[in-house]
Amino acid sequence: MLKADPGLVVRGLGATLGGRAVLRDVALDVAPGEVVAMTGASGAGKTTLLRAIAGLLPATGTIRAGGQPALVFQQHALASRLTARDNVLVGGLRRIGFWRAALRLWPRKELQEAEACLDRVGLAGLGLRRADRLSGGQRQRVAVARALHQRARILLADEPVASLDPALAEGILSLLRDLARRDGLAVLVSLHQHDLADRYADRLLHLEDGCLRTA
Amino acid sequence: MRRALWIIGFLALQAACIWMVQPDLARLWAGLPRLAGWIVGGFPPDFSGFGDLAARAAETVAVATLGTTLAAVLALPLALAAARPANPVPWLYHPVRTLLDALRGIDGFVFALILVAAVGLGPFAGMLGVALHSAGSLGKLWSEALEAADPAPMEAARSAGAGRAQAAAVVLLPETLPQTASATLYVWEFNIRASTVLGLVGAGGIGQELKNAVDLLDFSRVLAILALIVAMTLAADRLSAALRARLL
Repeated sequence: MLKADPGLVVRGLGATLGGRAVLRDVALDVAPGEVVAMTGASGAGKTTLLRAIAGLLPATGTIRAGGQPALVFQQHALASRLTARDNVLVGGLRRIGFWRAALRLWPRKELQEAEACLDRVGLAGLGLRRADRLSGGQRQRVAVARALHQRARILLADEPVASLDPALAEGILSLLRDLARRDGLAVLVSLHQHDLADRYADRLLHLEDGCLRTA
Repeated sequence: MRRALWIIGFLALQAACIWMVQPDLARLWAGLPRLAGWIVGGFPPDFSGFGDLAARAAETVAVATLGTTLAAVLALPLALAAARPANPVPWLYHPVRTLLDALRGIDGFVFALILVAAVGLGPFAGMLGVALHSAGSLGKLWSEALEAADPAPMEAARSAGAGRAQAAAVVLLPETLPQTASATLYVWEFNIRASTVLGLVGAGGIGQELKNAVDLLDFSRVLAILALIVAMTLAADRLSAALRARLL
């Protein structure tokens, strides 16, 4: 019998940065197929929370997730001189040996999967274009494809539309929602724009003084 | 007050240097006619047996090129260990940086002097000397480029589960390629200039011809060799600058 996907379950999460408690007793659930948006002022701890869930920061409390969550960074964090496809393949480095990766001897299956991820984010045919020759919206889509290539069931997105114009921002949020609906991913996204959060998320949360509340 | 202290310190330093070097303008004045005589007597330059000279010049270029290539091979793991974002073994960081400083601190000429005694006369010793010194220079320059790179792509790779060395090989090295390749070309260009004197210690190249000509007081030959060295280094300068311009 297949084990049910728990989505993302966080309880009692706390994090301290530079001696200051940034997060206190945070609890949240994101079900598979659900998009949860998190708003909050700059410095409220949104990035810290996402990074703590992704395992990039030490934190107290419990995080239960069906596998390692994938994080889409605010400024896409692509390697600018690599192609879109190579950037996506970075998402699968965990599965590839050092020398194969260092010598760019990507397994055929990984290559096919990376192309499929690009296809899922609407970038079919752009795999061999260098990241620095893509538009801002395309770069963020590559970042989403890289996260998908991690085969994660939980997608965390840290202000993924902060540097995009409104049309591109809607495109990215629409893509995240489609991925949640179509592939059953649990999506937690931090946003500054309340109107976008209203339109694209199933639930809204607000982070203030290190505590998460229903908005 | 602070500025006055700086000026006094600078002047004291210069005074100490003058005391140690003991520059003597009278000796310079006395030597100038002799120098002028050599230059005038050297005309026209003696380019006889140009093929042999060209072969020696080519040997100098080969010593610099192979030395730089070997230096790059040695420098790669050292640079990765000396760059915090790439280093998978943190305790190696300071020892490797010290090793790079030591290699850089000993000139290729000095390495060649020692290596001639160890492996015998000829360009092989020169190439090894160039490689050891340049491994220090390249390792230092590359590690600085790696440390200055945007950390975000590395962090993304690490968050996807890549090891530090793996992420550095896949993401960081390609990202810093313009800087590292440019530094390598610069070191190669420097090595061509530096290799012209390796012959003075028997480590091959055109320096050997230069030493022979100076020992025989054959100034026509000296001028011809100097002209060839200038042409060779200018050509390397131009080629290196053109390649660097394409990279950056």
